[in-house]
Amino acid sequence: MRSGDFKQSYGELVALTDSRPVWLWSAILVVALIAAPYMLNSYALSFLIIILITGVGALGLNILTGYTGLISLGHVGFLVTGAYAYAVTVSKYGMPPIVGFLAAGIVPALASLVVGAPSLRLKGLYLAITTLAFSFIINTVILEARTLTNGARGISVQRPEIFGVSFDSDTAFTHLCLGFAIVTLFATLNIRRSRVGRAFVAIRDNDIAARVMGINLHAYKLFAFVTSAFITGIAGALYGIYLSFVSVEGFPFLLSIEALAILIVGGLGSALGAVLGTILIVLLPEATRFTFSLFSAQMDALFSTGAQELKSMLYGLVIILFLRFQPRGLVGAWHDIRRTWVNWPLRY
Amino acid sequence: MTPLLTVENVSKSFGGLKAVSGVSLNVTQGEVCSVIGPNGAGKTTLFNVISGVLRPTEGRILFNGTDLASVSSSRFAAIGIGRTFQNLALFKHGTAVENILTGRHTHLRSSVIDAVLYFGRTRREEIAARKQVEEIIEFLEIEHIRDAIVGTLSYGQQKRVELARALACEPKLLLLDEMVSGMNQEETEDIARFVLDIRDELGITVLMIEHEMRIVMDISDRVHVLNFGRKIAEGTPAEVRRDPAVAEAYLGGNRSDAGAKVSA
Ligand SMILES: Nc1ncnc2c1ncn2[C@@H]1O[C@H](COP(=O)(O)OP(=O)(O)OP(=O)(O)O)[C@@H](O)[C@H]1O
Ligand SMILES: [Mg+2]
Repeated sequence: MRSGDFKQSYGELVALTDSRPVWLWSAILVVALIAAPYMLNSYALSFLIIILITGVGALGLNILTGYTGLISLGHVGFLVTGAYAYAVTVSKYGMPPIVGFLAAGIVPALASLVVGAPSLRLKGLYLAITTLAFSFIINTVILEARTLTNGARGISVQRPEIFGVSFDSDTAFTHLCLGFAIVTLFATLNIRRSRVGRAFVAIRDNDIAARVMGINLHAYKLFAFVTSAFITGIAGALYGIYLSFVSVEGFPFLLSIEALAILIVGGLGSALGAVLGTILIVLLPEATRFTFSLFSAQMDALFSTGAQELKSMLYGLVIILFLRFQPRGLVGAWHDIRRTWVNWPLRY
Repeated sequence: MTPLLTVENVSKSFGGLKAVSGVSLNVTQGEVCSVIGPNGAGKTTLFNVISGVLRPTEGRILFNGTDLASVSSSRFAAIGIGRTFQNLALFKHGTAVENILTGRHTHLRSSVIDAVLYFGRTRREEIAARKQVEEIIEFLEIEHIRDAIVGTLSYGQQKRVELARALACEPKLLLLDEMVSGMNQEETEDIARFVLDIRDELGITVLMIEHEMRIVMDISDRVHVLNFGRKIAEGTPAEVRRDPAVAEAYLGGNRSDAGAKVSA
């Protein structure tokens, strides 16, 4: 806490940040991200795209698990539902991509009511298992509903053209993902600083007190489910477009674990944490592969053949390490560093 | 004068245990009322049924003429019942301001979509809420801890934030469950002063559970005494102090030190 903090008006008190440097650095970062596709090679660019898409999904899960404290092991279910909603409306029925994106949000949101409503009374492990079951049921439904989804054959998806602007090139598609990521981040931060976000956090921290404050637990848990599923579904559509092919195999259960790992590594209940966690978790397998490849070519080969298995081991490892040594995640570490910095040497 | 709160023959059982048993009491608008009794007498359980945390097994509770049985538990705040908890129930990762803002919940309207956009009316509403919170902060003299994470505050400070959060609900009836337990002399006197100010300046009726007899005797208009779930006495502080059944309950109960306090 800086001693010089002196707020001028109540408007500033409810602002996202009252710090000019924060706005300035955010603006610089956005400009850098817009410029990035022109500088990066296609290999590096693919990581940027994945980070942006994964970030949207992580922010979605953050609303349910981070803010509201409802653990979901089945978030891949919303991801795949969103991807199919987009693919079916746009690729199969030839509707405009805007409609596809809307469907990618709304269909998972409706699906979340189906899984959310019966799990309102469940907590912790029971809820986690219910959501897990949901994601497997969704897969079965998709495989069975062949007329709509082509079953196991999947649906190929083209990069969209929206209002006459083509997002076909990697550069343009990066910009599209960047747009979605920024909008999602603002939406999340706005929710958090409003009545709705406070209700979510109240339910997480003390549900009895929350109810005494007049918060309708059932309604707000469903709001959290719906909002979370909507955002996650959009991420699913983007991922499907990126893969240019939507199938059940494209959305393995590992993605649910990856999303949880992101939140734990970043710091549960923080939008900034979700962003930092996304960057770390997306780059981690690649960084590990690179490190090992310095030592032997065999390790490198192992990484390309057993990628999934090694990824799940890595995620498990970082989850354990963070829970043990840095339970508040990267955001917690960042706050500690900043406090040390502000108070150094003995600012007061 | 019609009472603000009428508790009629209320019982609450947990399995075989009757924690509250056939309790009746009235709280009149503008009163400071106390509920006292030895440990385990059922005081908190009584508060839980009045505030909708638990439902009574028998009996009826009327608030402002409304039968609370017909009110869903998340609407108790909206109709004007606020409370604090014996064991702190703050949202511990949030700042004091955020906690108190949460108390404004029923007075704000924004939907999820409004919240996402955070624009126009939503923003104005948040600013207004922030202003009201600032007034409560000033009222309870907690300016210096407004931005602190409540989990890092002292017990007494956390209790005060909880009181602020309950006030943010703008209740008509405020239930305070052992506000001053674990507080030092000075903090206790502050709370006594606040309770009277809450009644006199904000016009809020107060029903409080207290073990600290000094504050009970000093500031209550009426005192209700519970023992083993039953009401054994009721009256002004002076009447209750003279009641032999009360002294008996405290002396015979597991909290013998309180007996001395009653007659003190
Ligand atoms: N949720 C519950 N489930 C089972 N028993 C309970 C529950 N809540 C309270 N009790 C029991 O009911 C009785 C009354 O408890 P209560 O908390 O109302 O007492 P109290 O008067 O507030 O005591 P204290 O002064 O210690 O706070 C106790 O025997 C307690 O163990
Ligand atoms: Mg009690």
